[in-house]
Amino acid sequence: MPALIAIRGLRKAYVMGDETVHALAGVDLDFQQGEFVAILGPSGSGKSTLMHILGFMDTPTEGSIVFAGQEVAKIEPDLRAWYRSNRVGFVFQSFNLLPRLTVLDNVALPLLYRENSDPVANAAAAAVALERVGMSHRLDHRPSQLSGGERQRVAIARAIVGSPSIIFADEPTGNLDVKNIDRILDLLGSLIKEGITVVLVTHDLAVAEKAHRVISMRAGLVQEDRTR
Amino acid sequence: MKLLDRIRPAIVNGLRELQANKVRSLLSMSGIILGVASLVAMVTVVQGMVGNFRQFVDAMGGIEKITVTREQLPKEQEHLAELSEGITMRDVERIRKTVPLVDNISPEARVGFERVIIDGRETSTYVTGVTADYLPVAKRWVDPGFGRFISDLDVLNMNDVIVLGSAVVPELFGANVDPVGKVIKIRGRRFTVIGVLNNIEGTGMQIRSANSRSSGGSWRWRNSGALIPVSTAQAKFIGNDRLSGLGLRIGDADRLHDAVEQTERTMLAGHKGLRDFAITTNEQTLEDFRKTEAAFKLSLGGVAGISLFVGGIGIMNVMLASINERIREIGVRKAVGARGSDLFLQFLSEAAVISVVGGLIGLVVSMGIVALMNYILMQALPTGAVATLDWLIMVQGLAFSVVVGLVAGVYPALRAASLDPIEALRHE
Repeated sequence: MPALIAIRGLRKAYVMGDETVHALAGVDLDFQQGEFVAILGPSGSGKSTLMHILGFMDTPTEGSIVFAGQEVAKIEPDLRAWYRSNRVGFVFQSFNLLPRLTVLDNVALPLLYRENSDPVANAAAAAVALERVGMSHRLDHRPSQLSGGERQRVAIARAIVGSPSIIFADEPTGNLDVKNIDRILDLLGSLIKEGITVVLVTHDLAVAEKAHRVISMRAGLVQEDRTR
Repeated sequence: MKLLDRIRPAIVNGLRELQANKVRSLLSMSGIILGVASLVAMVTVVQGMVGNFRQFVDAMGGIEKITVTREQLPKEQEHLAELSEGITMRDVERIRKTVPLVDNISPEARVGFERVIIDGRETSTYVTGVTADYLPVAKRWVDPGFGRFISDLDVLNMNDVIVLGSAVVPELFGANVDPVGKVIKIRGRRFTVIGVLNNIEGTGMQIRSANSRSSGGSWRWRNSGALIPVSTAQAKFIGNDRLSGLGLRIGDADRLHDAVEQTERTMLAGHKGLRDFAITTNEQTLEDFRKTEAAFKLSLGGVAGISLFVGGIGIMNVMLASINERIREIGVRKAVGARGSDLFLQFLSEAAVISVVGGLIGLVVSMGIVALMNYILMQALPTGAVATLDWLIMVQGLAFSVVVGLVAGVYPALRAASLDPIEALRHE
């Protein structure tokens, strides 16, 4: 089966003052459909840059990315937005829920920016996603009325509401207590049964060990890629 | 996604933001509120005044009226004062023969402010001697059922007949009394009332009388007065054949200047070159009104424009502050698939919502201002002019505020649209 994402010779360079920083210095990786992958590395290793590029939030300086058979390394901003809306989900360390929207509206947000967006259908899909993460009882609450673990579950519901191919979770457990860490990681791990590729970005080895495959990065390069 | 489908959630979002930041939104709206309120209120009042001007000019006989009045001789002709015989019926005949542009000539001989008496009741009113031509020149008439006007025969026979202004009738006879046929006394002479002039009422801008005993307000002077045959006035009151002036009505207003020129030549010829008369038209009055109108519009429009400009700056300011506060939100929206254009629309809609709500509040305030100005005018002038709000002006004021809001919202919305999602998400 061809890889969901195949990247070759991926480079990203930033100019900072007089210096050019090579955040990615030539990365080759394949991600399969339904894989649970952790990208591990200290800060500055390039793991966040890799996530942003694969998540269509940034473009590489060089190299190729084939996403579901399409070359997407150098596509237009609006097309990148389409991919973010239709193919990708994000889970952030600080949840990033919009404080003025209800839980239901927060989860429906990605659907708002799709073609032929319909408020009723969006709300229905959001309710299903919230049920999937066990948050059906909090539809009309504001994020501020939820605990950290609950907020992250809502954020996961928002990531899966659009039936994405891949979810990027950037330190999703960084702001959570031990009890909630396991719950969130189990929830993320369970998504692969639905054929979703889950990419966990973390600097915490214990968190990374939950994944089936751990990619260690250092100085913009893949240092180790092991499947358990 | 259709544009409407994209705008609808953006507007809902805008209203939500407005609600979440009530005080800040109200402050940012204040400029728009004041701008729209002053624009609508001022345009309303100015339009009311201008409408009044137009009516005034029309009441003066309109643009097609030429007035010839008696005038002091100029300095260089002062030594010929004895030769001046004033304006007389001979001038009427001369103009009638030599100025074909003139359709009607109304000679007027002012008798003065006279006591008019009937059966113990009395009132004072201005009595003027006229001919049948008074009606077309003054654009007046006698309504059917209210008698008739002075005829050529009345003038020829120096009849003691009188036509009353509609405001005089109730003062002399009380309400609901038909005065036609009644006999009244002026300086001891008995006059038979033969008719009542039509009642003039202000339209467009309502005119009210403070002591609203009778309608008419500042138009009362038009409804006041009494008219007798010019020959009667000259023979029985004035004692000579002099007229106080002539009113000429020309058929073609476009040839006003020709008519004035011809009238002047005829008058000069008849008066042996003496300039003991003056010729005026309503054109100058109308022109003055037009200038006043333009000046009002410019200055008030300027004031309203400046307040709307300030209002626009207020909106832009609050939008920029709002965007700074919501950089993370922008990042999140972009991360979940919003395009730059989606965010542009969202923030532009918020600016539009602020300006529409501000504009609507401004309209309410403008109603208050107009009511207040009417109240002040009524207090200051016994015959205050009352302006009424025109929905078209209100719609224009609202549209203007929306345009200001949209223009002010473009730059902040562009900023929001161009934010880098990664940077925005990192923003603390």
